[in-house]
Amino acid sequence: MTTSRKQSRQQRRPVVLLRPIPGGSAIHDLWAGTKLLVMLSFSVLLACLPGWVPIGLVAVWLGAAVWVAHIPRGALPSLPRWVWFVLLLGNLAAVFSGRPPFIEIGSVAIGVGGLLEVLRFTGLSLVLLGLAAMVSWTTNVAEVAPAIATLGRPLRRFRVPIDEWAVGLGLALRAFPMLITEFRLLYAARRLRPREVQQGRWRRYRHWVVEVVDLIAAAITVALRRADEMGDAITARGGAGQFSAVSTRLTRRDWVVLGLCATTCVGAVLSELAWVSTT
Amino acid sequence: MAALSAATAIIAVIVPLAAGLSLLGGVPMGLLAYRYRIRVLVASTVAAGVIAFLVGGAGGLMTVLHCSYVGGLTGVVKRRRRGTPTVLVASLGAGLLVGVVAVAALAILTPLRNLIFASMSANVDGTAAVLARIPYLSGAAHELKLFFATALDYWPWIVGGGSAVSIVVANLVSWWVLSRVLARLAGIPDVHRLETAISADPVGPLPVRLDEVGFRYPSTDTDALGPVTLHFDTGEHVAVTGANGSGKTTLMLVLAGREPTKGVVRRPGAVGLGQRGGTAVIMQHPESQVLGTRVADDVVWGLPPGRRVDIERLLGEVGLDGLGERDTDGLSGGELQRLAVAAALAREPALLIADEVTSMVDQQGRAALLGVLAGLTTRHRMALVHITHYDLEAASADRTIHLSGHGSSDNAAMVGVAAAPAATVAADPGRGAPVLEVDDVGHVYAAGTPWATTALRNVTFAVHHGDGVLIHGGNGSGKSTLAWIMAGLTAPTTGACLLNGQPVTEQVGAVALSFQATRLQLMRGRVGDEIASSAGFSAHDTARIASSLAAVGLDAVLADRRVDQLSGGQMRRVVLAGMLARAPSVLILDEPLAGLDAASQQGLLRVLEDLRRHAGLTMVVISHDFAGLEDLCPRTIELSDGALQPVPAPAGSAS
Repeated sequence: MTTSRKQSRQQRRPVVLLRPIPGGSAIHDLWAGTKLLVMLSFSVLLACLPGWVPIGLVAVWLGAAVWVAHIPRGALPSLPRWVWFVLLLGNLAAVFSGRPPFIEIGSVAIGVGGLLEVLRFTGLSLVLLGLAAMVSWTTNVAEVAPAIATLGRPLRRFRVPIDEWAVGLGLALRAFPMLITEFRLLYAARRLRPREVQQGRWRRYRHWVVEVVDLIAAAITVALRRADEMGDAITARGGAGQFSAVSTRLTRRDWVVLGLCATTCVGAVLSELAWVSTT
Repeated sequence: MAALSAATAIIAVIVPLAAGLSLLGGVPMGLLAYRYRIRVLVASTVAAGVIAFLVGGAGGLMTVLHCSYVGGLTGVVKRRRRGTPTVLVASLGAGLLVGVVAVAALAILTPLRNLIFASMSANVDGTAAVLARIPYLSGAAHELKLFFATALDYWPWIVGGGSAVSIVVANLVSWWVLSRVLARLAGIPDVHRLETAISADPVGPLPVRLDEVGFRYPSTDTDALGPVTLHFDTGEHVAVTGANGSGKTTLMLVLAGREPTKGVVRRPGAVGLGQRGGTAVIMQHPESQVLGTRVADDVVWGLPPGRRVDIERLLGEVGLDGLGERDTDGLSGGELQRLAVAAALAREPALLIADEVTSMVDQQGRAALLGVLAGLTTRHRMALVHITHYDLEAASADRTIHLSGHGSSDNAAMVGVAAAPAATVAADPGRGAPVLEVDDVGHVYAAGTPWATTALRNVTFAVHHGDGVLIHGGNGSGKSTLAWIMAGLTAPTTGACLLNGQPVTEQVGAVALSFQATRLQLMRGRVGDEIASSAGFSAHDTARIASSLAAVGLDAVLADRRVDQLSGGQMRRVVLAGMLARAPSVLILDEPLAGLDAASQQGLLRVLEDLRRHAGLTMVVISHDFAGLEDLCPRTIELSDGALQPVPAPAGSAS
């Protein structure tokens, strides 16, 4: 590469979905169900109490997880510039709202109340996205469906077909990379075609609609074909049954993590209640 | 039932993706609700919801719920054969319900509501404060602030009403699109073929005897198979050969338990598809029959709960020892097929049917796979029926059955192309400026992330006018990446790819690329429209469509045919016709012969050779096979691990 005469172009880092970061760590080794439970309980916590303390606590968790799982900065996709621009604009506008509390810089008093609200909202969204990303970065998709089947076992008593759902989920995750490849091909094939230029706004609009319908029909055809073939494969195996070769068991590490998670949630709730009672 | 659960799974994947175009996410769900029962919709919503939750957190989950609510409603209305008014009324009711739920949720989650409203009003107040400083706009600023404050007071009405309206709009859009899509899908034949025959008899597929058995598909007027009289018994390795359309696959279906329309099939017990001691089938497409995400998971997939098998021994038998923990996604076609053999053996079948298992596999993979198949009947008490269109593969069998069949092959509609050897346009490669220059190209996927993989390294070569170049390499050698770069679809990480001196990424479409997955390149419903759209002329220009079809040796009658009714070879030719009509500078063909039978391969090769010789078309063929391509491509480039390998001086490579 070093001998290359031309400069390496700045490539945008793509979003990589549902593929764990290569290499292992304590977090990679956790049972997938534990990670899902933690993610779910934090999501519920933040939806009910989006205060600074819960957001901060979950952010600390995220930071610790990033550190333990050795997640490099490159795992984050690069954001297009306009996203930064919009974020900046939003924060700037919030500064001008001039709400208390005020910070005095020299003789100018700036009301940062609005900014704080916007920052808290941004922080909430980032932490929620971060939780999802953390699970996706450290979990092999093969572990997700068995984990859901185990977690959902109590639901069987209410005649919920949890095994059926788990099999469906497993197949969906198996089909995911194949369909992504096929959609990429579909998009590339479209790019290779000449653009049909239409005269007049109405005709252009109609043309655009026809294109969208064609594209959806093509995508669904591709998916249904794939589904039919997989259906044949399932029939050839005599229907659904087992779908995982390894039986997962909760280790002590999982219990520790779950315990810590529960403590965090309780702590966050108590601190919020204390704050409410003092104001 | 099986096809159903697969459909569920697959549509579950589309929804989170389609949710990007939020209004359209309901369409696939609508399709499910239209075709199947609510139970399927629910299972698919769960799968889609979990995936969306993993990808985008709680927000993703909400989007999926919205999509399946909208899609489910539309699909059910469509299924009950009601019209637009019903959709309008139903969606209004549903929308109000969603509005009430949304208001109730926000009313309960007070802190979250306060936060959202506070940050919104901070933004609005700030904007108003800025506007107030601008002359003439201070009035507007005041209005804006007042308006927003009033709106906040009435939030339940606005959120509720907004949800209701958005649901109604989403429903109407997805209703409209779903109707269009269903109309398009109506003509697509159902390719799923295997059926589970429920039988109380004990499993016992062998010995099987077929007496004057024939098969005719519904709504056709010729027999797809036979009549044939055959028998198969334990310990036999039988090869079944024949051209496309000779009834090989139909024979597989009959052996796998489908009732013949003529004659009698006698076997001692039930077929027992996928059951212990029953019948196992391995099919053509490597990717779609591997169902587990990990190799070991796939071996046990579908076994009855509680049954244990020795996974390591099975994997060892098919030469995949120690790969149990690997993801199936990273396996080559040959490895996937061997994995399918292991999964079949886990069921200790009495009869194993392999249906064209090598046609999508490269040369090396084919040899390994055939090696595994060849020893099966000596190691296990079973019969192996190997269906193939390669005569060579039949060699290791104990006996061979050749089906002649009644169906017609691709070439029935082929126009005779006289191949007169003329050296008129055959430009001497190596002279003059090159058409396509690949200059020190390297490519890394997902560069800068932990998932970075190098696909190409320092690749340099040139293609001249009238050249025929074969780019040869095994699985994962980077040849498809190179094809995408040469077509301008991918910008290389390092180096450059130039077409007539300009970067090809700025001229997408000037280099034509035909993919291996031909079906994905056919976007319109009918052949004529497809060619016109791909070539860029009007669909009413029947003369040009006919001449385009003639150029690839197809009859003009095909113009009105639906693309889904074409054979594999015909599809390739139709794609080719559309591309040639644009007079591309270079034509790139990715695995043009894969999945075609010998006769279709010959036909396609003849068309291509003719085009290169007489029309002076510049051609780059990408293939893992050499067979038959020597005449078409005098020059060969070898790729291995993303780098060019020195080739022992083939003719004309001294550029």
